[in-house]
Amino acid sequence: MEMIASILSSVLATGPFLAMIGSSILGVFIGALPGLNPVMAIALLLPLTYSMDPLVALAMVAGIYNGSMYGGAIPAILLRIPGTPAAIATTFDGYPMAQKGEAARALKIACWSSAIGGTASAIALITVGPLLARATLAFGPAEYFWIAVFGMASVGVLVGTDAVKGLMAAVFGLLLGTVGLDQLSGVPRYTFDQTWLLSGLDLIVILVGLYALPPVLSLAEKADLSGLSASDLKLDNVRVLWSEVKSLIPTWIRSSLIGISVGILPGAGGNVAAFLSYNATKNASDDPKSFGEGNPRGVAAAECGNNADNAASMIPALALGIPGNVVAALVLGALLIHGLQPGPQLFHQNPQLVGGFMVEMLLTSLIILIVGGAAATRVFAQVQRLPGVLLVPTVLVLMAVGVYVINGRVIDLWIMFAAGACGYFLEKMEVPLAPIVSALSWADGRAEHPPRPADQPGGLQ
Amino acid sequence: MTEQRQDILLGTVFAVIGAAAAFKAAAYPGASGGYPMVLGLVLAGLGCLVSLKAFNEKRLDARPLTQHMPRMLLTLVCGALYLALVPVLGFYTTSALVVIALPLVLGFRQPVYLGVVTIVFIGIVWSVFSLLLEKPLPAEIWMRF
Repeated sequence: MEMIASILSSVLATGPFLAMIGSSILGVFIGALPGLNPVMAIALLLPLTYSMDPLVALAMVAGIYNGSMYGGAIPAILLRIPGTPAAIATTFDGYPMAQKGEAARALKIACWSSAIGGTASAIALITVGPLLARATLAFGPAEYFWIAVFGMASVGVLVGTDAVKGLMAAVFGLLLGTVGLDQLSGVPRYTFDQTWLLSGLDLIVILVGLYALPPVLSLAEKADLSGLSASDLKLDNVRVLWSEVKSLIPTWIRSSLIGISVGILPGAGGNVAAFLSYNATKNASDDPKSFGEGNPRGVAAAECGNNADNAASMIPALALGIPGNVVAALVLGALLIHGLQPGPQLFHQNPQLVGGFMVEMLLTSLIILIVGGAAATRVFAQVQRLPGVLLVPTVLVLMAVGVYVINGRVIDLWIMFAAGACGYFLEKMEVPLAPIVSALSWADGRAEHPPRPADQPGGLQ
Repeated sequence: MTEQRQDILLGTVFAVIGAAAAFKAAAYPGASGGYPMVLGLVLAGLGCLVSLKAFNEKRLDARPLTQHMPRMLLTLVCGALYLALVPVLGFYTTSALVVIALPLVLGFRQPVYLGVVTIVFIGIVWSVFSLLLEKPLPAEIWMRF
């Protein structure tokens, strides 16, 4: 009880609280901008958090993640352009609703559904995460190794269209993780006599390149010179009736459960959760033919499902130190930045921080209800009036400054740029990038030298 | 280039990287070479598998690597120039130049709009990184004299 009070007081302190509100708003903006995505935003944000309090840094990650997952629904409903991949299923009924003049209603349902899915997911994280961490205290190097192999293989096989390419990407990520001094023997590997390579490849530098440059290049290729006109984004004010809310409750429960289950599995992301939730709701409906023609339950299922994946995907990452998706890998990156080792030890050594992050995931889901209200959504929709070509250099500058401040080295800028250019072509050739990042984040010493029982609290003495 | 050729090439590239990594790892003393050597060999094997699979499947559809090659290359060139000039001209000077130049290169022709965006954006970046976070960035050329 004392711990819970302590966690709540630290999360509700001025710094983390303002970070949650600010980053949730920023997240909705980013999600609303087609071409930008939560992974890119968090990757750009992480270098900034080096000098921050870890709880403030994680509050920002939580806010951007939850905010952008809802924000992706705005262009999906108004323009049939999913702001994030997870919002594809939202277009199925959201856009037909907008065409029938019910855009504001669809956005309101999307906002509530996102908040409910995110909240259910955070509750799952708060309850299941510590239990799993406690169970893994009994694990030795062999168990860790096989869990890691399972995690990497799942990410490699489930992400993307070709399992062999996914596995190849995961092994490539592990290989990149061996660059630098071997932690046990001190032998330099793949450093080619370059002193800057002795400390290895920086995860965040590679991440920013891989996830921020390809969307920038795509935006440049599209060369959107004008943005959207104000008339395209006109929204009426509407009220959603209580009877309609009641009719959506079964959809929210079903989609939350599906989203949480998908989130726990390594490799499957918000888009999978949204599709499964949408299909389950359609199959359970008395009138499946109305789906795809503007059924509000379709919007509710897709948005609730994709947000229910958010916090649940952190369960294996925090409890086992194995990222199931790229955002989870980024969260692990944020922890490593602050000198914290993900895994079951984290729950014992830094319960306040882990607990704080879980509460932040919960609170930022609820903040969506406020920042994603009808009036706010009207404002967020206006960001789509920005010409896309202006985003190209601005994101490039943010990438550069974010990467430079990590180590203060110009060489990191070139590594980031090279990683981004490679990432662009790898994506085009259907090689998923998520396994590379997941493997690289896990390869940070733990892949080759997994924690021994003696390293863990309660382990061998 | 067809999907088949792309995948054969892709698999070959990864197979070569894996084989080279395994070869290099063989020279590392003791146990430090074992782990990267295994990874290199597995990568080489998976690369060969991608190539073989592509060879057997014969997918002859074209898979464009770019949506608009000239714009993509222009952006890459501008990006590389930007990174090369950052240590020479300073961070904010080069950033302001790229925020103005890149949209112009991509066809944006609203100078006032562009000017306002540049001033506001660079102002925000300066406020956050230099004023608030006090991060050291490459010094501006006009401050060195």
